[in-house]
Amino acid sequence: METSEATKAPTYDYEPVAEARGVAVHYGGIKAVDGVSLGLRPGNISGILGPNGSGKTTLLGALTRMVQLTRGSVWCQGQNYSQVKSDRVITLGISRTFQTVRLLPERTVWDNIILSTDVVFKRQGDKVEGLVKEAIARTGLEGLEKARPDELSYGMQRRVEIARAIAVQPRLLFLDEPTAGMSRKERTDISALMRSLRSEGLTQLIVEHDVGMMVETCDYLYAMNFGSLIAEGTPPVVVRDAAVQEAYLGKHGRHDA
Amino acid sequence: MMGWIDQNEFLIGSTLTVFLLAISIQIPLRLGVISFASIGYYAIGGYGTAILMTQYDVSTWTSVVVASVAAAVVATLLGLIISRLNGLYLAMATVSFSLLLSAIAVNGGSVTGGAVGLFGVIGDITIWHTAGIAVVIIFLVSFTERGKLSRRIDATREDSQLASAMGINVTAYRRLSFPISGLIGGLAGALAVNLKTAINPESVNFTLVVLALTIIIIGGQASWIGALAGSLFFVWLPEILVFVGEWEEVVYGTLVVFAAVLVPGGVVGVFNDWRHRRSVARERPKVALLEAAAGESDAELTQSRSGKDG
Repeated sequence: METSEATKAPTYDYEPVAEARGVAVHYGGIKAVDGVSLGLRPGNISGILGPNGSGKTTLLGALTRMVQLTRGSVWCQGQNYSQVKSDRVITLGISRTFQTVRLLPERTVWDNIILSTDVVFKRQGDKVEGLVKEAIARTGLEGLEKARPDELSYGMQRRVEIARAIAVQPRLLFLDEPTAGMSRKERTDISALMRSLRSEGLTQLIVEHDVGMMVETCDYLYAMNFGSLIAEGTPPVVVRDAAVQEAYLGKHGRHDA
Repeated sequence: MMGWIDQNEFLIGSTLTVFLLAISIQIPLRLGVISFASIGYYAIGGYGTAILMTQYDVSTWTSVVVASVAAAVVATLLGLIISRLNGLYLAMATVSFSLLLSAIAVNGGSVTGGAVGLFGVIGDITIWHTAGIAVVIIFLVSFTERGKLSRRIDATREDSQLASAMGINVTAYRRLSFPISGLIGGLAGALAVNLKTAINPESVNFTLVVLALTIIIIGGQASWIGALAGSLFFVWLPEILVFVGEWEEVVYGTLVVFAAVLVPGGVVGVFNDWRHRRSVARERPKVALLEAAAGESDAELTQSRSGKDG
């Protein structure tokens, strides 16, 4: 791992739950993420805003070790986990959902949710069922345990993914476009669920391009474009930022993106 | 009954050894590893047993065990060498491995008997031994088809990246499938050579790969029941199709194509779907009610989803 100016420990006035230090992910000549540093505030819902192709999902991939870092490092609870294998990340207390629905099609809702729980809690088998039941209750999936994903609506499938991610009792939850393709009612419900998880102290990072939802849900926003952070701050500050308006909302400041 | 078994001993034995070969292919396949190396393991098991028995006078069972373990060792090494490959590249590498072994069989001189092969492999393995081994393998395999292990196997196959994110060590599972596949493939070859009393390069060539794969496709990839159903079907079908005479292969091919198109999950897949539908039918009204309560309107959904691609 290269040590450059950007990978030196930055100082925050709080203890970040997870940190990216000068993270860069290059694919050949394409700089998907190019030197991003951020430290996630504990107990907050943070959001990464940015147009398609701005590097949001790649950054999430870097933070979950699913894509290789070209430069920089990722840290969790003071531990550099840049060399940790992707299947160990969940044991650090980092859980995630995906941009698209990724459920096992031949398996029931119950099986899909328990999948990671019994890996993480393999030495406490008796706890597992309780955790899965709790996650099912939290996401409003009671009664659907025996259904297969293709028997559920799209919104319900996304809930199964969230249930799977929270059943492992993570310290940090990454949500990649959690409300994409959902109805307005569903979006409101999911947003309420995230806020209720926050009230229990779960730190979350959402990647989204739905500005309205982000402003409504997040405590802190990062804006990305062309692989770099272009602004950060509280939602009102970031949304009003000139660079963000230019890059993300378009020159005419369309608000319906 | 006993009379019928005696009469059909060869077909029953073939069914069982083909079944073991199919299981050997199925195990990595269930983990998303398309490997054709099982033919190579089968060749190692078969030739190994034949060489030990006919040229070194080693006892039947010792030969079978040594040859099968040798296949497992070779499989482990192969797994390590090709572990960086994926999908079709991995499949190609395993095809090369199997073809390499059949080339060795042809060019092995007096050790492998060249193109003629080895014959006179007469041991003391009965149909009951073979059946017993098959039952043990079924028993062990059935453990991987239940509970958490089966979930992890499914996740590794369906979406390895997701499986990793769920904490499943995909590489370890896939790597482990090689020695297991090697041992069972080797065993299939060792038992087959005892059944047929002979082995030659013709019997370990690519035709065998195609046969074993078709068995799994028709029977179903997910379960040993599929492999068994497929083995029964394909070993006995030519017997049944004798009446169509010279058209046998055409009918055979047509059946395979239809099965692959119409029942992609295999015979077992059809059965599982039926069983799931039956169990869910009772829950159905509840599901509909819950969905309605969640305020999902399809029209609204379609609208908000259109023009959205992440």
